[in-house]
Amino acid sequence: MPGLIGTDEVRRVADAALNLPGADGVEVLFMHEWGGLTRFASSSIHQSTHSEDTGIRVRVVTEGRVGVAASNDFSPEGARRAAESALEMANVVAPDPMFPGLAPPAPTPDHEAFDDATAATTPEQRADGVAEVIGQCPEGFTAAGAFETLGSEVALANTEGQFCYAPTSQASVTTVVTGSEGGSGFAEVFAKATSAFDPAAIGKRAADKAVASRTPRDLDAGRYTVVLEPSAVSTLVGFLAWVGFGGRYLIEGRSCFSGKEGEQVAAPTVTIYDDASAEGTLGIPFDFEGTPRARVDLIADGVFRDAVYDLRTGKQAGKGTTGHALPPPNPEGPFPLNLFMEPGEASLEEMIASVDRGVLVTRFHYTNVVHPVESTITGMTRDGTFLIEHGEIAHPVKNFRFTQSIVEALKGTEMIGSDTELASEFFFSASRVPALKVSSFNFSGRSDH
Amino acid sequence: MLDVAKQAVQAAKAAGADYADGRVVIDDEESITVRNQEMEGIDRSTSQGLGIRVLVNGYWGFAATARQEPEEIERTAKLAVEIARAAARLPMDPVVLSEVEPVTGTWHSPMQVDPFNVPLEEKVAMLMEATRRMQTIDGLSFGEGGIDLFRRRTFLATSEGTELEQTTVQSGAGIEATALGDGEMQRRSFPNSFRGHVSAAGWEHILRLRLIEESERIATEAVGLLSAEECPSETTTLVLDSGQVELQIHESIGHPVELDRVLGMEEAYAGSSFVRPEDRGTLRYGSPLVSITADASLPGGLGSFGWDDEGVPAQRVPIIVDGVFQNFISSRETASVLGQTSSGAMRADGWSHYPLIRMTNISIEPREGSLADIIGDTKEGVFLSTNTSWSIDDHRVNFQFGCEIAWRIKDGHLTTMYRNPNYTGITTEFWGSCDAVGGREDWTLWGTPNCGKGQPDQVARVGHGASPARFRNVQVGVRG
Repeated sequence: MPGLIGTDEVRRVADAALNLPGADGVEVLFMHEWGGLTRFASSSIHQSTHSEDTGIRVRVVTEGRVGVAASNDFSPEGARRAAESALEMANVVAPDPMFPGLAPPAPTPDHEAFDDATAATTPEQRADGVAEVIGQCPEGFTAAGAFETLGSEVALANTEGQFCYAPTSQASVTTVVTGSEGGSGFAEVFAKATSAFDPAAIGKRAADKAVASRTPRDLDAGRYTVVLEPSAVSTLVGFLAWVGFGGRYLIEGRSCFSGKEGEQVAAPTVTIYDDASAEGTLGIPFDFEGTPRARVDLIADGVFRDAVYDLRTGKQAGKGTTGHALPPPNPEGPFPLNLFMEPGEASLEEMIASVDRGVLVTRFHYTNVVHPVESTITGMTRDGTFLIEHGEIAHPVKNFRFTQSIVEALKGTEMIGSDTELASEFFFSASRVPALKVSSFNFSGRSDH
Repeated sequence: MLDVAKQAVQAAKAAGADYADGRVVIDDEESITVRNQEMEGIDRSTSQGLGIRVLVNGYWGFAATARQEPEEIERTAKLAVEIARAAARLPMDPVVLSEVEPVTGTWHSPMQVDPFNVPLEEKVAMLMEATRRMQTIDGLSFGEGGIDLFRRRTFLATSEGTELEQTTVQSGAGIEATALGDGEMQRRSFPNSFRGHVSAAGWEHILRLRLIEESERIATEAVGLLSAEECPSETTTLVLDSGQVELQIHESIGHPVELDRVLGMEEAYAGSSFVRPEDRGTLRYGSPLVSITADASLPGGLGSFGWDDEGVPAQRVPIIVDGVFQNFISSRETASVLGQTSSGAMRADGWSHYPLIRMTNISIEPREGSLADIIGDTKEGVFLSTNTSWSIDDHRVNFQFGCEIAWRIKDGHLTTMYRNPNYTGITTEFWGSCDAVGGREDWTLWGTPNCGKGQPDQVARVGHGASPARFRNVQVGVRG
């Protein structure tokens, strides 16, 4: 099995790019990832893979001109070739008057996020985990999903003298259990180590939901009070990051929060922040420019505080970077990758019990932006949608399409769950979020299942 | 590089594989983005590696590595076999591959001017001038332009004797104008949204797009949209331009007819399909005007190739004929489930991924008339152009799309311009309501360079030929 390359070898390869003649500054971003994914469907393993790759991404600056080249040839020769290619590109473009310089030397926090056993998980171990998931399916139901284990190293070196390095591991299980009569249930888990979760528990959660969601009935589209489980909330938070929390969008007036710093944009109980070093997320302690990642309070007590920044947008805003750069070149600007929504005090059962008539949503599917400045998105419900009547689950319902402003939903937040989950969104990294009760949510259409 | 692929096959067979294929892929990309005459990004990337896929006792295994030393090839081949043996811990019906004739050959996508050899200065100058012209329009916030180039060299060897070398070069470019004001953000793109129009062609394709000539028009439209009326909410006649018909085909026809989805293989991620195997020859998918073809042999298509990643030759497959569903797109494994041969649709996202069923060039067959003819023949309705967003449920039934711009159609003429238009519908009802499909003169072979599927995530570049089309009784103007 592959293993860590380590800092000495990374420095040796990076030096071949850093010592490029004719450049005013050079930055080398190094990434190494290996891992396996055991994919199953119809309760059998149908696609099972393993891959290992290294990548170097070299940014070269000459007289304020910037070029970038990437290669997976992890050797001094490969690094040098990438640097020369980046310099060639830099030489044909105009100087960037807003170029902020490369990241200065700065210590990054200690980071213990690499689990040897997880990074070395064998195909047999993943297959056994999949068997535990599938073993929870009752008669007439089957499971589909994936069990993935990864090891990775990220490092950044530049000619300003910054060098940072972080090894990480990650494990995840996602599953959808389906059966006759339209039953469908979903569960997932993400962690730094396989020892942090029980695949059977994931399977049981999805299977229980699938059994409960059999024979869904039609329910008219319209506005309903909703209880959103954490997976559904992660969609709202992930898309809010896209349309709202990036410093570039904020500065340019493209964010749904542009001009709203200090304004109440959500219920006073809502607090959202980004913190790569907090427990319960899967982050590295520096960004892709080599700046230590800071905790950023984005919405505190319902008030929009600020966005996240990289070196360029931090300079434009006169605030400095918060350590949220993405790999270069990056026309989209900085982005928060380790979002949290603070928990409240309610259990999911208490939220459901407080609803006279509403809908419980397990997760959303294939969401996309309708109106970014209004934070309006559309998508479908999936894998367990239920009518709530008089404080109890009445029956499953067929899936809805929603068209809804995220900000308006957060303004209507009435209760927040006491437990949080690290939940994924189709397009984004996972966010740690609780369940929410929202007073009014717009289901604009419905499907046939 | 074919030698590396052959070594991989030999190593896999020696390790116990019943079937093996080795695939070396070298990907080169170049991307340039200019905004308001300033460089947003200019970068190149190259990636090379080997993927080995094996069948052992009817179970798949796959392993990939960036290195190609003999010891690494052997280690990776053994790992692929180990993965296949681990899969056998859960019983299933063994995979059976449909027959394919072993073949040896080479293929290169058509190209007149290699875009990677065009001087960077020329590329940058084109985008600088396009954005300069956009900036001459009062009220414009951002004028952006981008060029994307892709070159993929694939070397495939299989234990059945297939040995193939293929090179595909794809070139694309586009411009986008953004206007901001009063809590609104409006965009216009040309020739299509999301980085323009990508084709399996060389630099000549980008020159034909005439980005500079169209820049002021789209900037003017973007600014105009700031003060335009909101698209009203109503059920009405809908006319779509060919760029939007492209994505409508992609989401509501292309994906549902992927046989792996139909068989449940994508259930946990992007979902399955409302189409069932027994629907072949009977399902009324659309009106009699709707005929859809998957054709991997179309010159210029992003889904064109000589052979797919299983060595199955490019084919032209009728998907829907006169409104009735006929065939899926398939792989050797899935086709055998239905007792068929593969349609030749297996492609992987580079060397590090397992091949999946991916759309080739899935196109609507042209009928008659131009876009102007369709609008001229419409008494009342709306015309929507240029996609901004898309969403569809996990069975590909309920969809909603947004576009950049719309106009009211009144007595055969475009009248009031609308902003923030969108529409929603149910797949078979929508295609069933189609009562006009444009002719060859407005039929364009578009590229969709960002199709996501699979776990781990894979991105494919696929093609769709589309004409403008008209649909009756469609709900437009969905509001939050």
